Amino acid sequence: MILYILIALMFFIGLYGMIAKKNIIKIIIGMNIVGYASNLLFVLLGYKWDGIAPILTEDMSFAYFLEKAVDPLPQALVLTSIVIDLAFVAFLAALAIRLFEKYGTFDIDKIRRLKG
Amino acid sequence: MNHLITLTMAIYLGGAFLISLLWRENETVAGAAAISFVALSAITSVLLGIEVFTNGSILYFAGGWERPLGIALMLDPLSALFLIMTNVIALLVTIYSAVYMKKYTWTPYFYVLFLIMLAGMNGILISMDIFNIYVFLEVASVASFMLVAFGLRAEELEAAIKYTVMSFIATTMILFAIALIYGFTGTLNIARFMDASAGLTPVHLWFLAGLLLAGFALKAALVPFHSWLPDAHSMAPAPVSAVLSGMFVKVAGLYVIIRVTANIFTNLPQIRILLLLFGALSMVFGGLMAYGQKNIKRLYVYSTISQIGYCAVGLGIGGYLGSLGVLMHFVAQAFSKALLFLNIGAVEYVRGTVESDDLKGLNDTMPVTTLFGSTGMLGIAGVPPMGNFWSKLIIIIAAVKAGYTGIAVLCIVVAVITLGYFLKLQRTVYCNLTESPVKKEAPKTLLVPMGILAFMVFVSGVLLVPGIREHTLDKAVAVMENFSYVDITIGDNR
Repeated sequence: MILYILIALMFFIGLYGMIAKKNIIKIIIGMNIVGYASNLLFVLLGYKWDGIAPILTEDMSFAYFLEKAVDPLPQALVLTSIVIDLAFVAFLAALAIRLFEKYGTFDIDKIRRLKG
Repeated sequence: MNHLITLTMAIYLGGAFLISLLWRENETVAGAAAISFVALSAITSVLLGIEVFTNGSILYFAGGWERPLGIALMLDPLSALFLIMTNVIALLVTIYSAVYMKKYTWTPYFYVLFLIMLAGMNGILISMDIFNIYVFLEVASVASFMLVAFGLRAEELEAAIKYTVMSFIATTMILFAIALIYGFTGTLNIARFMDASAGLTPVHLWFLAGLLLAGFALKAALVPFHSWLPDAHSMAPAPVSAVLSGMFVKVAGLYVIIRVTANIFTNLPQIRILLLLFGALSMVFGGLMAYGQKNIKRLYVYSTISQIGYCAVGLGIGGYLGSLGVLMHFVAQAFSKALLFLNIGAVEYVRGTVESDDLKGLNDTMPVTTLFGSTGMLGIAGVPPMGNFWSKLIIIIAAVKAGYTGIAVLCIVVAVITLGYFLKLQRTVYCNLTESPVKKEAPKTLLVPMGILAFMVFVSGVLLVPGIREHTLDKAVAVMENFSYVDITIGDNR
């Protein structure tokens, strides 16, 4: 249970970074933290204490395997999700550089030409 | 033969790969290649659609793994309708961009990103697995961020960063919901989750529904989740705006919400009230904001928010009439919105501005463009022969029948506001006589796709004619109304 609370805490730290900070780089870091929190939650859902790798060998009974092996599906899904986060962060970092060239600042409050 | 439903997506992905590998230096060849790939995909999707509408849904499990392990991909009448619309509009827009995109540099990369976005949209439409939907949604979204920022001017970059950050919040909510769905029920398949969710407590269901609805409503730009859309869609190049506003918002938002509310959360009917609320807010807010816009592209974008509201209201009302109204409104709306954005793109191509103060007397200088633009505006405003009139009428009747008289009145009021802001635009921009009209019409390559779309706007109401309706819209409505996923969980692959 304590782990879930810690993940919630991590999620809210990231969310604070995204909402309260004005610097684009800090917003990107906040997004990263939020992404890690959701990935950790996903992995934790398939985890078992003292679990073994989900490989069924010949000297292992099926019942023992079912009881002990961790769920491999969330891990596979999280790999996909990490790649998506990578795409987001790489694109945003490139965008931040371009924005700095045009506006000369990372302050999100000063990047405000669009209105209405 | 069932694996052929992945063909449209495969053509787009292969096309993007080939263009980026072989023809990235040559703009003309890249454009021609992109047009032929999209045309191939459009023909394939029409053939698949005819097959689905005549002989029923096609089910395929990725990689040949059988149920319950395989990832289910399915083309049913509902997704076939969206698939045909997406690919046909994409074909017209690609032909249009062959000329329009000449003013940008590095156009081969535009086609690469455009095809990847279309691949993602096609992937969403055939997935029956919620994680698969998430992955394709992100493929399409990340490509669309780059397309919004394609011009690399300061305003475009600013719009792109707003769009990306907001989209990331939606992504996180959706991923959290998916993790919890897997944790609660042990499955990601939409059909299995629908059965398993009957065992969950209302608190769990509300939490999941709230996360999923907030995530997808952000993608669909329903008020109060709309703040990114006016910037992103008005700053993108015109062909991109046409696809984003015409199809992307509907595929990534509306279609997935239909799957979520009408299918996954059958055990939680109260969620419809939230949709009704968001829809009514979007209708009124979008309509009022559109009234005061000077930038014509921004006006069209607020009109998109307003019209998406109609779809959400129809979805919230539910029932046969509500669902029929949503689908009809979607079809008519996709054609007329794509037409309007291509049209304002043509005006920008010739005159170099989209501010309504700088544009006068378009009726005299660009008569054909004006004709098509007026068709689109009358279409969205809901003037009788067009499809939007019938869809709005159906939604209003459905609201009255379901006892939501206030919503029905609101729908009528917003329809009048819509007509109001388009007439104001006609008065100030199109019919304002200039002193010396010099005729300068847009190139034919821009006019032909607009002409086809204008024709579609005019005849889209034909889908409601008895005899045609039974074979097209009614089958899709049946999917929305009482969807049985028996095909996915047990039974033969057709």
